[in-house]
Amino acid sequence: MKRITAIAAAALLAAGAAACSGGGASTGTGPATGAAAQPGQAAAGFQEQHKGGTLRLLAKAGDGTLDPHINYSNGNWQIFQALYDGLVSFRKTGGERSYDIVPDLAQELPQVSADGTTYTFTLRKGVAFSTGAPVTADDVVASFERIFRVSGPTSGTFYAGIVGAADCVKKPAGCTLDQGVVADAAAGTVTIKLVAPDPEFLQKLALPHAAVLPKDTPAKDQGTSPIPGTGPYQVVSYDPNKQMKLVRNPHFKEWSRDAQPQGYPDEIDYAYGLTPEAAVTAVQNGQADWIFDPLPADRLTEIGTQYAQQAHVNALAAFWYIPVNVNLAPFDKPEAREALQWAFDKNAMVKMFGGANVAQPACTILPPAFPGHADFCDFPRQDLAKAKDLVQKSGTAGQEVSVVVADDEVSKQIGEYVRSSLEQIGYQAKLKVISTNIHFTYIQNTRNKVQLSVSQWYADYPAASNFLNVLLSCASFREGSDASINISGYCDKDMDARMAAAMKLGQTDQAGADRQWGEIDRELMKRGPIVPLFNPKQIDFVSRNVGNYQFHAQFHALLDQLWVK
Amino acid sequence: MIGYILRRFGAAALVLFAISVLVFLIFFATPGVDPAARIAGKNADPATLEQVRASFGFDRPLPVQYLMMMKHLFVTHDLTSFVNRGTLVIPQIVEAIPVTLSLVVGAAVIWMVLGVAMGTLAGAMRGTLIDPLVMLLGVFGVSLPVYWLGEVVNLLTQKQLHDSVFSWVPPLGYAPLSQGVGQWALHLLLPWLTLALLYAGIYARLLRGELAGALNEDYVRTARAKGLSERRVLLRHALRCSLIPIVSLFGLDFGALVGGAALLTEVVFGLPGVGKLTYQALQNLDLPVIMGTVLYAAFFVVLANAVVDVVYARLDPRVRRA
Repeated sequence: MKRITAIAAAALLAAGAAACSGGGASTGTGPATGAAAQPGQAAAGFQEQHKGGTLRLLAKAGDGTLDPHINYSNGNWQIFQALYDGLVSFRKTGGERSYDIVPDLAQELPQVSADGTTYTFTLRKGVAFSTGAPVTADDVVASFERIFRVSGPTSGTFYAGIVGAADCVKKPAGCTLDQGVVADAAAGTVTIKLVAPDPEFLQKLALPHAAVLPKDTPAKDQGTSPIPGTGPYQVVSYDPNKQMKLVRNPHFKEWSRDAQPQGYPDEIDYAYGLTPEAAVTAVQNGQADWIFDPLPADRLTEIGTQYAQQAHVNALAAFWYIPVNVNLAPFDKPEAREALQWAFDKNAMVKMFGGANVAQPACTILPPAFPGHADFCDFPRQDLAKAKDLVQKSGTAGQEVSVVVADDEVSKQIGEYVRSSLEQIGYQAKLKVISTNIHFTYIQNTRNKVQLSVSQWYADYPAASNFLNVLLSCASFREGSDASINISGYCDKDMDARMAAAMKLGQTDQAGADRQWGEIDRELMKRGPIVPLFNPKQIDFVSRNVGNYQFHAQFHALLDQLWVK
Repeated sequence: MIGYILRRFGAAALVLFAISVLVFLIFFATPGVDPAARIAGKNADPATLEQVRASFGFDRPLPVQYLMMMKHLFVTHDLTSFVNRGTLVIPQIVEAIPVTLSLVVGAAVIWMVLGVAMGTLAGAMRGTLIDPLVMLLGVFGVSLPVYWLGEVVNLLTQKQLHDSVFSWVPPLGYAPLSQGVGQWALHLLLPWLTLALLYAGIYARLLRGELAGALNEDYVRTARAKGLSERRVLLRHALRCSLIPIVSLFGLDFGALVGGAALLTEVVFGLPGVGKLTYQALQNLDLPVIMGTVLYAAFFVVLANAVVDVVYARLDPRVRRA
C-alpha cells in the first residue's frame, strides 16, 4: 500500500526521538512493538475493568468511502479492522505474530486440494451482522461477486485468479462466480476454486477488500452510508469533512480472540479537520487520544523528551526508493544504473527523514523482517569514485537527468541531495518539484518521461511478491497510463519467470520460496531498476490515559484494543 | 437604470461561466490527475480502469463531461465528490456556509467597530502622540499574516498557557448554535479576533486618511463657523462623509470572505467552513468539490462587485452612462 504523506523531519530530531520509546525497533529483528508497550497483552483475555469510555481519534481529513470492497487507504483500512471480517484474518495482536493468518468467519483454516486450486471453508455458526441477520454461505458468495460488480481496485489483480473472475473484471454488471465460489447452505461450507494455485490467496482474503457483507448490499459504492458488518463496532455516522462515529455492534459476540477480539471503548469518535500541529497539541492537552497523520517534524523533539511515555515507534513494512526509468537515457545502460547504487549516502537521507530512530538505511528491496528478506548488502556504502567510473564507462557522462519529487519538506531535501550527488558523478542534474497531490500518478505515466523520482511503497500484505512482483513485473507496467505501478518500466521475461517460479514453490515450501525471493531481490539490485533508500518507522502519539497499545504489522495500531479507562 | 442592472448581471453570469470552464480545463490539462486512475486505486488492472472510466463517464468528450457536471450541479443537484464518494457536493457547501458566515459576520462586526474607532481617534488626534501610536498599531495588524498569527494564538492558548491563563479556551473546532450561543461564541472568539485584526488595521488607516482630508473641507469649516461643538463636527459631518469609501470596501471584503477567502483562518482554527472545504478539495484534487466551491466563491465576489457597482451607479449618474 502506498502512502504519500511523509514524516517530515530534520536533524534536530535525532536527539528528541532518541527518547521515543527508546527507539527499540532499530535492529530489524521484526516489527517490534514500542518499548513503551503497556503491560497486559491481548493473550491475557478481555479485561473487563478497562471496558468503556470514548476513544477520540484525529485526522486532518476523512479517508474516502466507507465501502470496504472499494476503499484502498491506510486510514480506513485500520478502522475496518473493528468493523468487518473475512473468511480469514490476520491475527489481531501486536508484534510479529500479527502476520499469521487465522480463521475468522470460517471455523478453521480451509482444506486445500492437492493441486492447490480448491479451498473449502466451513462457516462459523452463530455469527451475525450488526443488523442481527446471521452470516450465511450466500452472503459469502454475494460478497465475492460484489468485489467485481463494484470494480474494486484489486478485483483485476488480487482476486483475478478465481474461476470466472476474468469475465467479471471485463463485464462487472451482473457478474456471477457460479463456478468459482460455490455455497453449500446445508453443510455451511463455501468452496472457492482458482484457475491456478496462489500461495498468497489466504492473505488476500484477509484484506478488507474481501470482507463478507450482507448479500443484499447494493452493487455500487456505498460511499458514506455504512454497510452492516460483523465486527465489534458499527458506524452510526460518517461525514468525511467532520466526523466518523462508531458504537458497539449489539449483535457482536466474541468468537475468536485471535481473529476479532472484543473492543474496549464503548464509543470511537474519529474527528476530521485539525491540522497535524493542532492535533498534537490536542493530544498533549488530553482533548484527543491518537493522531492518524504523520507527526510534524518540529514537534518530534518535544514528543521524544517530554512525552516519551506516550510515543510508540515501530518498524513499517515499507521503503522509500528511487524508481529508475530503465527505458530512458541515461539509465537504459546497466552501468549507469549500477552507478546509482553507489552514488548515495543513505545515512544522510535517513538524517533528512528524521534520524536513526525513525528510519534505517535500506540495502535490499524487501524490508528487514519481511518474508523473503535476505540479509545481503552488495552496495554497503557511498562510493563516488566508483560511481563516476561507471558513468564514464557507460558513456552517458554529461547527459541531462531530472529528478521528480513531491513538494513535502523531506522529499524536497532528499531530491536536492540526489541532484547534487548526480552532479558529482558526472551528470547535469535538475530537480523538478511537483505537488504531492499529483506526484504519485505523474511519475507512473510514461508520457511524462520521468527519468528518476523519489517514491514510497507500503506492503498490502506480507509477501515478497507484493514488493518485487508488483513493482517490477511486466504485468504492472502499462505504457501511457497513470496506473502503472512499475514506475521503473522494468520488464524482463527471465526475472518474471523466476518470480513466477518462486510463487509456485511457495505453495509447497515457503522457506524455499523465501530463499528464492532473497536471490531475486539480490539479482534485481544488481540490475538496478530500483535504488532502495531507507525503511521508515511509524510514530504513534497517544494521550496520557490510553493503555494497551499494540502495533499490528499490517494494519498498524489496533485502535479498538486501546484502553481509555 | 434597469438596463444597466441587467447588463451588469449578464456580465456577471458570463464571468461565472468563464470561471467554471477554466477550472474544468485546468484540471484536465494537468498531468497526473486522471480521475479514473485515482478512483480505480493503485496498481489497478487495465480492465478495471476501463470499467471505472466508463462508469464515471470519463471516456466521453470533455464538453460532454463539462455539461454533465453542470447538469449535476445546477439541474439535478446531485453532484458527488470523486474522492469521498457518496458525499454530495451541494449539501457539503450548504453545511459549511453557516460556519463561514458565523466567522465572517462576527469578525466583520469587530473589525468595523475597531477600525472605525481607531481611524476616528487617529484622525481626530492628529498632531498628538496618539495618532502615530494608533497607526502603528494598525500597521502591526496589517503586517501579521493571518495563518501565522492564528498559529501563535493557538500556541499560546492551546499549549504554552493552556493550563493557566487560557484554561477557559475550548478545543479547536466549531460549535453550532444548537449547542448554545455561549459555546458558539466561545469557540469563535479567537478566530474572530485573529481575522478582524488585519482588516481593522486596513480600515483604520484608510479612514484616518479620509478623515484627514474631510476635516480640511469647506463644509467642516462652515460647521465650525456655525459654532457646532468639535465632537459634533467630527462625528456628524466629517466622519459621515469619510465612511462612504469604507462601506464600499467593506462590501467587497465581506463578499470575498463569505466566498471562502477566510480559508487560512478556517484551516488554522479547524473550522469546517467553505474555505476549509476548498482547501481540502484542492489537497486531494476533488474536481466536483473544487468546481462547487470555486463557483460559490466566484458567485459571492461577482455578486458583491455587481451590488457595489449598482449602488455606485445609483449614487453617481456618470457611472451609468459610462
